[in-house]
Amino acid sequence: MKVILKFLKKVGFIILSLAVGLILWQAFTTYSDIPSFIFPTPFDVWEKFLSVARDGSLLFHTLVTLQEVLLGLTLGLGAATLTGYLLAKSRTVERVLSPYIVASQSIPIVAIAPLLVIWLGPGIFSKILTSALIVFFPVLVNTIVGIRSVPVELYELMRSLQANHWQRIIKLEIPAALPVFLGGLRIGATLAVIGAVVGEFVGADKGLGFLVNVGRGLYDTSLVFVSVFTLVILALGLYGSVVFLESRLLSWKKRE
Amino acid sequence: MRRYIGVLFAVLVLFLTACSGKTPLQEPSNELTHIRLPMGYIPNVQYAAFYTAVEKGFFAEEGIELEFDYAYETDGVALVGANELQFSIVSGEQVPIARAEGLPVVYVMAWYEKYPIAVISRSELNIQKPEDLAGKRVALPGLFGANYVGFRALLGEANLKESDLTLESVGFNQVEILAAGTSDAVVVYVANEPVQLEAQGYDLNQILVSDYLDLVSNGLLTNETTISENPDLVRRMVSAALKGIQYTVENPEEAYEISKKYVEGLEDADQEVQMGILRASINLYQTDPYGYSHPAAWTNMQEVLMKMDLMKKEINLEEAYTNEFSQ
Repeated sequence: MKVILKFLKKVGFIILSLAVGLILWQAFTTYSDIPSFIFPTPFDVWEKFLSVARDGSLLFHTLVTLQEVLLGLTLGLGAATLTGYLLAKSRTVERVLSPYIVASQSIPIVAIAPLLVIWLGPGIFSKILTSALIVFFPVLVNTIVGIRSVPVELYELMRSLQANHWQRIIKLEIPAALPVFLGGLRIGATLAVIGAVVGEFVGADKGLGFLVNVGRGLYDTSLVFVSVFTLVILALGLYGSVVFLESRLLSWKKRE
Repeated sequence: MRRYIGVLFAVLVLFLTACSGKTPLQEPSNELTHIRLPMGYIPNVQYAAFYTAVEKGFFAEEGIELEFDYAYETDGVALVGANELQFSIVSGEQVPIARAEGLPVVYVMAWYEKYPIAVISRSELNIQKPEDLAGKRVALPGLFGANYVGFRALLGEANLKESDLTLESVGFNQVEILAAGTSDAVVVYVANEPVQLEAQGYDLNQILVSDYLDLVSNGLLTNETTISENPDLVRRMVSAALKGIQYTVENPEEAYEISKKYVEGLEDADQEVQMGILRASINLYQTDPYGYSHPAAWTNMQEVLMKMDLMKKEINLEEAYTNEFSQ
């Protein structure tokens, strides 16, 4: 009973907060005299949502972006984990690669996204790469920090138990680095959405970024809002998935 | 607690009141009227007519102080529609689209006579007319804006559908795409990319939209409120802009030199190419008579936009433009 009450209280506050937000939004658009092509009412946005949901276009564009995001996240994650492990293990590799990695982070993704379209063509791969590039750095940094945070005594323990290289990675380094690594993945998962949308903004004929462009081109600000909210939900969904993954993978940590 | 709610309510009311307040156009008799003009693109020699009008004092003579704003075209149109700004430079197709969405905008001066979009390709591919595009790979910045509308108008003239060819959205990278040869043809601004590519030694075929269809092109936009409350400002704005256009047509070299003050990097750019861009732009200017908008171009534009589903409903074109201020 207590658990149910606690849950209801938690959900109740979220619903109340959303309701207050909607009322303030409606009041703002009603009393401010701002036309709907500048700032639509919640009702306009809801109507637009129903219209694009009914004709299937919202689902189509959402699935396109989701595909780009998931592939970009996988690519970025894979590359960052491997590079991060190498960098954490070898100071020489770190010294050689870190100037490039740090420099790459000072380049705004919007500046190189058009070049990716020229080099890789206007298809899905340029969007996957923008997404992967933006995911790369936070995951890389957290992988390095995670691997380096493994206590020396535990390495000594593994050595005394005569663990081989793979056993050391699987039984010690991965579990020890996982909490920090998943922290990086939380950030990476939400950034992956931004990366894919940046790619779509530059040149695309499908995806939620494209839908934002269409909305802007047609002065249909409600469509822009629907696309943006869908992107927010997409990012929250990915974030939630990582949190869920964390709760499953790190259940041993809670028990500690 | 009640006191806090009261304070919060007062703050909210103040916020909403502040948002609702439209700033009335202040026009002290002895001061210049400040106008922020969204141009729709980055600083470029293509805007020489406006730079020249400022430098030669045509705007000041009309009591106007002009500030250039290089925001997105659609943002400029939306701000004019909301009467947050009085004027904007706009491509013709934006006007019916915006009016169909309820923006009370009015086109008051034609700057370009010809629609500035073309499909270009390497001459060895022998793409010379719209019909030749069937089965080809064509790249364009995106499925929106003047490039897309002009391209679809050309397809319509050749009775082609989008599905008859491969269309690729590549952003504003048409020069690189054509140079790399990844597409057979690219949709471009007549006055820009072809000049750059030809300067690099490419032999091009060009299919000009304006050779096939008369469409409303670039011009000056205002809104119904400004026309009804301050027609004199519209008249002065149009008059100054037209003087700038005429002066640039008659003195392109001087207009080019003036542009260097406004376009960063123009001084160090390839002078021949940039002058070529200005000359190509001047070829598109409205010259007969200056500022006049042709009714047939509006009818054609509306037909093209309706076919493309870019307008939900037909609009009354007589409310969308007027030649009253340019004559």
